[in-house]
Amino acid sequence: MVRFKHRYLLCEVVSDDPRCRLSLEDRVLGNLVRDTIARLHGTFGAAACSIGFAVRYLNAYTGIVLLRCRKEFYQLVWSALPFITYLENKGHRYPCFLNTLHVGGTIRTCQKFLIQYNRRQLLILLQNCTDEGEREAIQKSVTRSCLLEEESGEEELSDSGGEEAAEAME
Amino acid sequence: MPAPATTYERIVYKNPSEHHYMKVCLEFQDCGVGLNTAQFKQLLVSALKDLFGEVDAALPLDILTYEERTSSAILRICSSGLVKLWSSLTLLGSYKGKKCAFRVIQVSPFLLALSGNSRELVLD
Repeated sequence: MVRFKHRYLLCEVVSDDPRCRLSLEDRVLGNLVRDTIARLHGTFGAAACSIGFAVRYLNAYTGIVLLRCRKEFYQLVWSALPFITYLENKGHRYPCFLNTLHVGGTIRTCQKFLIQYNRRQLLILLQNCTDEGEREAIQKSVTRSCLLEEESGEEELSDSGGEEAAEAME
Repeated sequence: MPAPATTYERIVYKNPSEHHYMKVCLEFQDCGVGLNTAQFKQLLVSALKDLFGEVDAALPLDILTYEERTSSAILRICSSGLVKLWSSLTLLGSYKGKKCAFRVIQVSPFLLALSGNSRELVLD
């Protein structure tokens, strides 16, 4: 009917420097994206994108960011993401880039995608693992996430999905 | 007796012209400000950049003719960028601190149309 429709951009902050992810903050990242849009798309772009813009979810350990913007202008925001080349925190600049994983219409679809993505990432981590202790820890996480997947089955993933994602992260 | 069926043929002529041509004139509030061609182009690009950012400042814009005395020019822009250029010219307020305004005299997808302007026609 009559409601404001949004697009949720699920992005991953990729960086060589391990301190970069830890210094992620939602306000800092939000301002950085806004400045980049203003640089790239001018006053029109900055005004159009900043109405419904918000950083909805931020995970400093995995570097996953969920950005929200209005449906009419999500392409302006999306096209500005590759132009973010560094994160600034307390005078330190960390070079990084934002990798867009998924564009969804609701937070729920992004969450579903994120859970599947994290499961696949765990398996990839397991393959590339070198240390035995790490390998055991990851194997435990993988089996736990598989059990949870069987449990929930056809249930709607709402809050349980968030916990799953948190568990799958450890 | 039924009338013979006539066949109709519909021809849709979508504007095939890729470029639009604009005749513009730059007016300053106080006289005595002259720009050469390069400065004029720089002004246009900075107007686009202000409003629409770096992406649209790189639109393929050409100045076909420029008269320094009257500060009038004929510009060529790709058709998809016409609205952006026109709106950024509208919102341009000043050049190096001096107030100015762009007057758009004529816009046409065909360059030949800019050669004659019925508004400037003087009837004897």
